[in-house]
Amino acid sequence: MVDKPKVAICWLGSCGGCDEAVVDLNEAILQVTSAIDIIFWPVALDFKYHHLDALKEGEIVLSIINGHIRNSEQEEVAKLLREKSQLVLSFGSCACFGGTPGMANFRTKEDIFNWVYRDAPTVVNPKGNYPQPKSQVNGKELTLPEFYEQVFALKQIIDVDYYLPGCPPPPDLIANAVSAVLEGKLPPKGSTLAPHKALCDTCRLNETKPNKISLKDIKRIHEVEASPDTCFLAQGILCMGIATRGGCGESCININMPCRGCFGPVEGVEDVGAKFVSALAAMLDVEDDEEMRQLIDKVDDLAGYTYRFPLPVSLLKKKR
Amino acid sequence: MSGFEPKVVCFSCKFSWGYLADEASFSSKIKNWIPIICSGKVDAKHVVEAFNRGADGVLILGCPEGECHYQDGNYETKKRVRLLHKVLDSYGIEPERVRIELSLDPEGKRIPELVKSMSATIKKLGPVRQT
Repeated sequence: MVDKPKVAICWLGSCGGCDEAVVDLNEAILQVTSAIDIIFWPVALDFKYHHLDALKEGEIVLSIINGHIRNSEQEEVAKLLREKSQLVLSFGSCACFGGTPGMANFRTKEDIFNWVYRDAPTVVNPKGNYPQPKSQVNGKELTLPEFYEQVFALKQIIDVDYYLPGCPPPPDLIANAVSAVLEGKLPPKGSTLAPHKALCDTCRLNETKPNKISLKDIKRIHEVEASPDTCFLAQGILCMGIATRGGCGESCININMPCRGCFGPVEGVEDVGAKFVSALAAMLDVEDDEEMRQLIDKVDDLAGYTYRFPLPVSLLKKKR
Repeated sequence: MSGFEPKVVCFSCKFSWGYLADEASFSSKIKNWIPIICSGKVDAKHVVEAFNRGADGVLILGCPEGECHYQDGNYETKKRVRLLHKVLDSYGIEPERVRIELSLDPEGKRIPELVKSMSATIKKLGPVRQT
């Protein structure tokens, strides 16, 4: 036990799907656990923060951290893990980009609190109580983590060594990442442990994509019976594959759903929404202003569609 | 909002706007003026980047409809602007803050006027809140 490398797995603002993805390694996880010593994994094993505190700096070889950061507890744990770890792997779309919860950055903290604690039809809150970081109850002080103004990706709070996106990351890429660490065969620091090209590069529907896509109409996936054998964009259904890093195994495409963009921007792209807008504009085949207006009006929540995962790491990051 | 002077970034196509004018003297009149080779070169990212760097508005001046030197750069950018209006609105950046004008003005006399009138519109909206 003494010589085995210590590994921590931690969730911050997360649904648990990323932890589930680790479990989904199935038999392979037995090989992994025979080679490493898992010393912290809140979702699966009973470790406490003070166990982490007791470790020496750099004693953990690898921390696999999933989930975004929205409150002070998440920030504290992320910083503690960074201090105790030689390597930090930002695991899953929430850790890498903020993820779906990052879309909350289109609302202010005030908007969110007012809705959740005051305006939502199911709320009963006659005293108008809002969560407070500190409150007095029976002469004692109770504390809650502070809810931040916005959602952050992990790299915006601590130094990150490697990234593995996905919602959740697929088993083959997880296994590759873990063995790369164990065997010391890692790419340069800051690399994303996934392919560099767009999803279209490996999409089986790519051969049905015409050289020039001309859209007279835009439809949402639930409004039509989409052909399973034709590029979604060619059918007028918005697909994020053109602007999204590949490596997921096209799991959405394979069940006849367009890409949602969970792997984040293609290597080198900073703002996926702007890139997608430029690409989509080129596809719109309209004759005049009125046609342009009508077609563009049909695109529901374009910002939500394009920044579904990477809003907190986009250029503008949050609502002004 | 009395002391507020909006920062408007103006991209103008050299094929239609101000090509007879003296660029140096014009630059002193219009802050943040970026003459470019075709309005079609203005990518959505350039507009987003302008707001990221503190702009309050972006004005794009291109060739008249159907008269782009490179076939349809102005038309492509017009579509980008319309799509950007939707995206930026979600960020709390109003559609009035991005404007595209397709016209011909070799002496560029209207450029300062257009920047001025856009500034007046933006003055009413106030600055883009910095985060």
